[in-house]
Amino acid sequence: GGGEGEPPQVAGAQAARPEDRLTLLLRLRAQTKQQLLEYKSMVDATEEKSPEQILQDKQVEAKIEDLENEIEEVKIAFEMKKLALDRMQLSTALKKNLEKNNPRTSVLMDNMKHILKLNKLIMKSHQESWDLEEKLLDVRKKRLQLKQASESKLLEIQTEKNKQKDDLAVMENSDKIKAIQQNLQMEIQITTVIQHVFQNLILGSKANWAEDP
Amino acid sequence: MSVLRPLDKQPGLNTATILLVGTEDALLQQLADSMLKEDCASELKVHLARSLPLPSNMNRPRIDLIMFVVNLHSKYSLRNVEESLRHVDATFFLGKVGFLATGAGRESHCSVHRSTVVRLARTYRSPLLFCDPEVDGFRVPVAQRLVRMLQICAGHVPGVSALNLLSLLRSSENPTLEDL
Repeated sequence: GGGEGEPPQVAGAQAARPEDRLTLLLRLRAQTKQQLLEYKSMVDATEEKSPEQILQDKQVEAKIEDLENEIEEVKIAFEMKKLALDRMQLSTALKKNLEKNNPRTSVLMDNMKHILKLNKLIMKSHQESWDLEEKLLDVRKKRLQLKQASESKLLEIQTEKNKQKDDLAVMENSDKIKAIQQNLQMEIQITTVIQHVFQNLILGSKANWAEDP
Repeated sequence: MSVLRPLDKQPGLNTATILLVGTEDALLQQLADSMLKEDCASELKVHLARSLPLPSNMNRPRIDLIMFVVNLHSKYSLRNVEESLRHVDATFFLGKVGFLATGAGRESHCSVHRSTVVRLARTYRSPLLFCDPEVDGFRVPVAQRLVRMLQICAGHVPGVSALNLLSLLRSSENPTLEDL
């Protein structure tokens, strides 16, 4: 950043020590570079103007938001790339440093070994927890299947029972009806027989019913 | 009809210029003094104006940042700012314009509602700062913020541009209840 704790009268021509002058020059150089960048981007921006005039208010708002989102995405991509570059630079610097120093006795190596151990542990625990979750999932699936099977079996049993009951009822009814019918018929026959016997008795006795009750 | 355009002149070496537009002269003067007192590596120049357009006969340096100062106690200052906004080129609003609302501390005296200024800032997609310059404790941090913004808008901070700053500041104005 800008606030470097320099006294503000640096712009004046004084017998400045070379370091102050150098810092000033470097700072001015950075400034000029940044300003040049701004002008360049302005020129580029005005070159690619797409004049879609007279948009509605809502459309303009939406377009502005889209453009803002684009800016954010570009920024994020840039930051990621910078991060990746920094990482690569860091790793090469580290590598060179390690090659220079005695690799066995540095604290850095101990740290790195510890880091590796911890990472392995982490990965193993991850794997274990993943396996356990898979097992849990399997058990749950099996339980669900069993439940469904038992449900269907019970349903079957119930339907069978119902059918049996229905059949029995029908059969009973028909049985009863047949029995009743048979009885009835027998009674009718008996009554008919008795009637005939009576009639024959009366005819055989040759008595006159009307005179002698 | 002179319209203010950014980047229309060459920048002065190590110089950053801010333009404060507002109706309250004393207030602007106070702000200007606080800003100039700040310890800053670049040379600061503060221009004060009541309203735009600025008289075109002066030879003035390139303006890096415009701050419109609205006093929440007076509707006139709001109207003045709205009028002056028309004399600013659209490219200025890519991070080189800001709004400063003063007097929000005394709710009873506020004739301009806070949401009006908020909506104004959102329409112009520019950052909104609040300040109560009578209270000394507020003035210094606001001046520091303004100085920092000015440095960035003038291109004195390598790696950060005005647009960059704008999108950084934007994240704090996330959808309020009014939008939903």
